[in-house]
Amino acid sequence: MASVVINGDTSGAVTISAPAVAGTTTLTLPTTSGTILQSGTAVTEAQGGTGTTTGYYGFKNRIINGAMVIDQRNAGASVTVNSSNNNPNTLDRFAAYDVNGGSGTFTQQQSTTVPAGFVNSLLTTVGTADTPTGNVGYSMYQRIEGLNISDLNWGTADASTVTLSFWVRSSITGNFPVLLQNSAYAVYYASLYNIPTANTWTKISITITGPTTGTWLTTNGIGIDINWGFGAGSGRTAGTTGAWTSNPTSGTILLNVTGATQLIGTSGATFFITGVQLEKGSTATSFDYRPYGTEFNLCQRYYSALPDTGAQNGLGAGVCLNTSNFYFVAVYPVPMRTAPSFTSTGTFQVIVTTGYTPSSVTLSAAGTTSAALLAAISGPTAASGGFIRGGGSACSLNFSAEL
Amino acid sequence: MYKLIKDTLTNESKVVFRLSDNTCIPFAPDNTDYQTYLAWVAEGNTPQPADEGTQ
Repeated sequence: MASVVINGDTSGAVTISAPAVAGTTTLTLPTTSGTILQSGTAVTEAQGGTGTTTGYYGFKNRIINGAMVIDQRNAGASVTVNSSNNNPNTLDRFAAYDVNGGSGTFTQQQSTTVPAGFVNSLLTTVGTADTPTGNVGYSMYQRIEGLNISDLNWGTADASTVTLSFWVRSSITGNFPVLLQNSAYAVYYASLYNIPTANTWTKISITITGPTTGTWLTTNGIGIDINWGFGAGSGRTAGTTGAWTSNPTSGTILLNVTGATQLIGTSGATFFITGVQLEKGSTATSFDYRPYGTEFNLCQRYYSALPDTGAQNGLGAGVCLNTSNFYFVAVYPVPMRTAPSFTSTGTFQVIVTTGYTPSSVTLSAAGTTSAALLAAISGPTAASGGFIRGGGSACSLNFSAEL
Repeated sequence: MYKLIKDTLTNESKVVFRLSDNTCIPFAPDNTDYQTYLAWVAEGNTPQPADEGTQ
């Protein structure tokens, strides 16, 4: 085994030894200056490693559905946000605001206009423009559950730095607002990000030192509320950027930043966003692509639809309490954040000895893993067992436990 | 506007019905729809009573 020894200028030496095996082994060095990783040294998060303290195996991205691929409620259909429909859920885990009766309108829907590496984005299109005043405001947001930020130690001296990153594209240029707030809306961190070129994707990265003050829930309540502002009056406008600041109107959700471009001011303006990621650390690492099934299950903690697309698969089994009420149980796909609200869409069929079409399906009681529901029917024999299924076309039992 | 729903088995109201979008809301403290309902009641509003004889 031959060796080459490189002696230091004053002391020390490096020995490069050929392996004691047959054949030729080639060692190619990088073309740029740098340091070869030492055995036993952890690869940094920025290089795709797990870091030395944060251990990113699993839930790196605290945003759910950041790639905008899950749309259980609307299946790609457009949702209009206005003073009547002022706080709808759009894509899973995302929602939008038109607060305090703003006359402006906009739509949101899943889009396939994307930067490289993504298949979906969330598109906002302004309908009726507005110059908001007072407490009128417009935004889209995601509220991260407190249980999913408990390791950040926010509100303590050990608060972790986080980095928010996303891809964005708009038909108008300027400095757009994004705000992080706690559940009490008592403290905020506001930032302006720049879109320099119209209709061109821009990657945004904002590193935020963890707040050492404020109350940050680590329960199943709101941990962090992140708003991407589309415009607001002075009552919902933050005055400070780049630092955690006490909200002068504590309890009021802030949706804008002084000096920001107001998307709602331009009728027809478009705004695309995808690849949203909030991660621990001071570097925006690559987007955390979770398996589709995993991402879907994460969404189902907050919204679950039990659908029947027409196959007439069973949705729940139960019993006729009397001649007019079929009482049945629906089990959610995953445990939900809290006992959910319930809606139904479409027409169902209760099968006892024959089929009955319910005039309504309502909630009797809800837990975090299942719900007892009541289908109003007419005619069956009391104490008869049966099950409920779709009536032959698309229908769904819908459970919402959103933040 | 809301309307109480009476449970068929217990004859108690454990769910309230939001008339604007036909949503059944359980009396669950962590449910944000229920929190909104409680805020509405705190403003001095009163839900419609539950139907008698049905859920």
